[in-house]
Amino acid sequence: MADLAQASLESAQNQNDFVIKVEDVFKVFQTPSQANLSALEKITLDVRHGEFVTVVGPSGCGKSTLLKLIAGLSASSAGRILFQGDEIRGLNTRVGYVPQESKLFPWLTVEENVGFGLDPKRYSRPDRERQVNYFINLAGLAGFEKYYPAQLSGGMSKRASIIRALAYEPPVILMDEPFGPLDAQTRMVLQDELLKIWEQKRQTIVFVTHDLVEAVALADRVVVMTHRPGKIKDIIQVRMSRPRNIFEIHRQEGFDDAYSRLWNIFRHELNIGTH
Amino acid sequence: MADKVDQEQPVPASSLDASPVASGSVRYIRGIGVTVVRIAIIGGFFLLWEIASGRWIEPFLISSPSRIFSSLITGFRDGDLLQHTWVTFEEIAIGFPVGAISGIALGYAFGRSRLLAEIFEPIIIALNGIPRTAVAPLFIVWLGIGLWSKVGVVFLLTFFLNFFITYTGMRQMDQEYIDLARLMRVKGWKLTFKVIFPAISPYLFTGIRTSIPFAVIGAIVGEFVASTEGVGFFIRMSAGIFKTADVFVGIIILMIMVVVMDKIAEMIEKRALRWQTQTEHIQIQA
Repeated sequence: MADLAQASLESAQNQNDFVIKVEDVFKVFQTPSQANLSALEKITLDVRHGEFVTVVGPSGCGKSTLLKLIAGLSASSAGRILFQGDEIRGLNTRVGYVPQESKLFPWLTVEENVGFGLDPKRYSRPDRERQVNYFINLAGLAGFEKYYPAQLSGGMSKRASIIRALAYEPPVILMDEPFGPLDAQTRMVLQDELLKIWEQKRQTIVFVTHDLVEAVALADRVVVMTHRPGKIKDIIQVRMSRPRNIFEIHRQEGFDDAYSRLWNIFRHELNIGTH
Repeated sequence: MADKVDQEQPVPASSLDASPVASGSVRYIRGIGVTVVRIAIIGGFFLLWEIASGRWIEPFLISSPSRIFSSLITGFRDGDLLQHTWVTFEEIAIGFPVGAISGIALGYAFGRSRLLAEIFEPIIIALNGIPRTAVAPLFIVWLGIGLWSKVGVVFLLTFFLNFFITYTGMRQMDQEYIDLARLMRVKGWKLTFKVIFPAISPYLFTGIRTSIPFAVIGAIVGEFVASTEGVGFFIRMSAGIFKTADVFVGIIILMIMVVVMDKIAEMIEKRALRWQTQTEHIQIQA
């Protein structure tokens, strides 16, 4: 009993813990003409365990750069990022990454792609097969296991790309405008599927987008960024119950409130731009 | 399921438009037509050659298809043509794979290590500036007139081509694949053989296939410079005594060698790159 109580206490603590803490981070790029381009300025952001955070802003506001910093693919110019309490130095292999284009490995089949991150030391062969099958079924890709990425449609490669990042169960998934290039219908279907998959495992997700509706529909919190140099303008709490119905998201209670707050910020931004 | 439809090929709207991608039977007839025309051109060429020889042009200059054919038969039946072919094959069979593998290995190493590339790149480019067949006599001096000097020349020609093409492939590679794999904790052996080599494999095959004719050139140049056997020796010797038919026999053997090697490479390539979508012919519509 004591063990059980201890365990539940720990998990409760984990719920409150921040999995990502971004503290006063700056990122400056050196352009070829030796000028300094400030991409991110004084970014401070905390992400809780199991939280779905979207980052929204105009193109070129440094949203993708922020993800690259969290993944450790690029180093910040100042400030620091803590991941599960440790400062990120070098590659952060505790995140899964879903890039803008699907970037499935074209020389591997769908099932090989999905299983690619499953370390043979952690997953025995049957475990590995079970895990791959589970996610392939979850994403509606059953029957396409042996297909190569070149044979898939845009929506299908997107699904495969997402479950490739989910399959090896990293505690955090970073998504960089994954639904950007898709048509409106496919996009909605995939948003719906993403939420359903996420509700099963509740991995922490940081999701970058430039679509305001998408940002509100998916998120627990929306981080609003402004144009270059990228700063956090505001963070909006989305008070909508889950599970959500993506197809009728406008009618759900709390959507209008969050969306109009978000839109007010952007309208303000646009006004500044035109004067 | 609706997904499967969204990348369907657009169907030509008008049937007036004679589409180059035609239906099955039309394509079949077209295929036969291509073969017929091809055979007619080749046959016509040989016929003209046969007629011209002895009538309009001296046979010792151009020989004739019938003479070449009989030389080929007698050469293999009671001559040492098989021995010559074997010797040349041996030079290529050693020099080519060793050259290709070391070229690929160095190209890979340069692609992975910036330091290595910075130090050695100018040196390699300078060395590449040397016309490589000009080095052949030097190889004879170093390695003698036997097998190894020819292996050396074959190696040299194969090595540089494979090196440059592999290195180009490494520099053109999409960094995002590497980043993704590394985020998945893939490293070492698996990163090299499951990510990097597949990613650059189209380049590897281009390198291997373009270097096949050069490997044969290397062997022949080596034999031209100094040798006592091999197809190159056979060609030079035959030309020296105006046995023109035998010169052509030698050329045909070399051609067959190149074609067979290329076919084998092509088969391996098709299997290895079956994940790639092949574009057959680029169409530029008016």
